[in-house]
Amino acid sequence: MARPPQPPPRPAQRGATRQSQNGPKKPAWRTQGFDFKLYLRQHQAFLVESFTRLIGHPLASIMTIMVIAISLSLPGGLFVLLKNVQSVTDQWEQQSIISLYLFPNLEDTEALSLSHQLASRADVASVEYISKEEGLRYFEQSSGYEQIMSTLPENPLPIVLKVIPKAIVDLNTLPELQGLRDQLQGLPQVEHAQLDAEWLQRLATMISFGQRFVYAISALLVIAVLLIVGNTIRMAVESRRDEVLVMKLVGATNSYIRRPFLYMGFWFGVLGGLCACLCILLLSWWVSSPAARLIELYHAGFELQSFNAVEIILCLTISAMIGVIGSWVAVSRHIRDIELQ
Amino acid sequence: MEIEFQRVGKKYESGHDALSQVSFHLRQGEMAFLTGHSGAGKSTLMKLIMMIERQTTGQILVDGVDLRTLGKHAIPYHRRRVGVVFQNHQLLFDRSVFHNVALPLQVSGADDDQTGKRVRAALDKVGLLGKEKLNPMALSGGEQQRIGIARAVVNKPQLLLADEPTGNLDPRLSSEIMNLFQEFNRVGVTVLVASHDLALVARMRHRVLTLNQGRMVNDGGFA
Ligand SMILES: Nc1ncnc2c1ncn2[C@@H]1O[C@H](COP(=O)(O)OP(=O)(O)OP(=O)(O)O)[C@@H](O)[C@H]1O
Ligand SMILES: [Mg+2]
Repeated sequence: MARPPQPPPRPAQRGATRQSQNGPKKPAWRTQGFDFKLYLRQHQAFLVESFTRLIGHPLASIMTIMVIAISLSLPGGLFVLLKNVQSVTDQWEQQSIISLYLFPNLEDTEALSLSHQLASRADVASVEYISKEEGLRYFEQSSGYEQIMSTLPENPLPIVLKVIPKAIVDLNTLPELQGLRDQLQGLPQVEHAQLDAEWLQRLATMISFGQRFVYAISALLVIAVLLIVGNTIRMAVESRRDEVLVMKLVGATNSYIRRPFLYMGFWFGVLGGLCACLCILLLSWWVSSPAARLIELYHAGFELQSFNAVEIILCLTISAMIGVIGSWVAVSRHIRDIELQ
Repeated sequence: MEIEFQRVGKKYESGHDALSQVSFHLRQGEMAFLTGHSGAGKSTLMKLIMMIERQTTGQILVDGVDLRTLGKHAIPYHRRRVGVVFQNHQLLFDRSVFHNVALPLQVSGADDDQTGKRVRAALDKVGLLGKEKLNPMALSGGEQQRIGIARAVVNKPQLLLADEPTGNLDPRLSSEIMNLFQEFNRVGVTVLVASHDLALVARMRHRVLTLNQGRMVNDGGFA
């Protein structure tokens, strides 16, 4: 349960610090101890009271809650989308290949010994040796350039070593594989090393772009929600100006006056977050069957992911915090500025 | 509670001297009236005691404590010891009589049992025990005024300040209200009442402080 970031002033302690100041006499009337039970009871009462107030103005409350919910479900939805893209690629288990094009002037024996050397590496599963002749045959078969090839005086193809790394390629192992590629590229016999995972590299860039996009959108919308909550609470304070003044007159501390409004912000945050979670769950349910069909075309056994329990709790916590902070910012100054005259 | 003003002056931001060189001493358990023409500075004097405004010169001692030594955070605790009936801070019409009177207790954190007892005791004193569940809107002007007094005394303050508590009441109701203050004074509460109603003040036979253009021109006998 979110609580205001700061505890209210403790009468006894504040009193004690004030008393140590100068003055002809100590005020003896401010030495009551801090009562924790009382503090909890008051909070509980405020929690209930602020909720009843929310229900008391159902239309205004629902509008605010819906605005918060919509603002939060956009980043939440994007987050789920991103999560699914990532999980699809994680399940796309594939062996990658690093093709090493050796220098054309390299002797067969040298190439063979390099191939053995590489095969014994810990991070390499196997190495396939493709001689110039095999390359040519393969090329002729697959490309239909037979005629052109036969007109050439000499076989132009280099010896190719197909290195199959042990690591399965996915977004997590990609940097490792790229490292291996760079290492192999550095070998003196290798003219060019090519990691055959371009699609994955592109996806990785797109995902990191997507992540940044989601972060930026989230930041903007969080600010929007802060402002919405702040504005709603400010209006609530303004509509209860008389009450604030009377409370000040009878000796309420600013933190006491502030508390019901912070709780109001808390409720707006929690209820808005709850609605956002519902929106996201509904939306994922709605797209789940077409998405599954789409994914089946490429890969079987994939399940669309939505918000899980942890993420729902996280979403609620964050939205509750936004609610409390938003109302805190709006209310603190405002209540201080409402002065008795 | 004891109140002592020593050459107190209050200059508002507008530059107007609402009070100047005001000195008096209200002893523990004493009752006094504060009179003077409109604009003489009566409300200002009460606001200084409540720390709603701060004096610009001089010293105000409450039970020997100089109010200037109390910081912003001490103000609420100071106010809890003083019961006030101010005309522009009347009842809240969004809640029952009971919850209006209970407000000072809630603010200082009394528990529900205690709150119930004290509120009923205060309503009993002003003779409105049966009306606790009503909305104050449903009460007459005089009854509302008495609810305000119940709210002022519910916390058992040692000082009671009332600014024009009989403002728009008929003479009979006015003297009823004044008698109420007298009763609180009899049980040891220090009482200071600002009033225009010189005839009523004279009848009450208490000390009278008179302000004129922000200066204390009479302290003692009846007006
Ligand atoms: N907030 C303020 N700013 C500037 N001047 C003020 C303020 N409050 C009061 N005054 C001025 O100070 C003077 C004293 O005002 P005060 O309200 O104390 O008078 P009063 O004796 O209570 O009058 P009344 O009997 O009409 O209530 C008046 O001239 C008033 O105009
Ligand atoms: Mg006045």
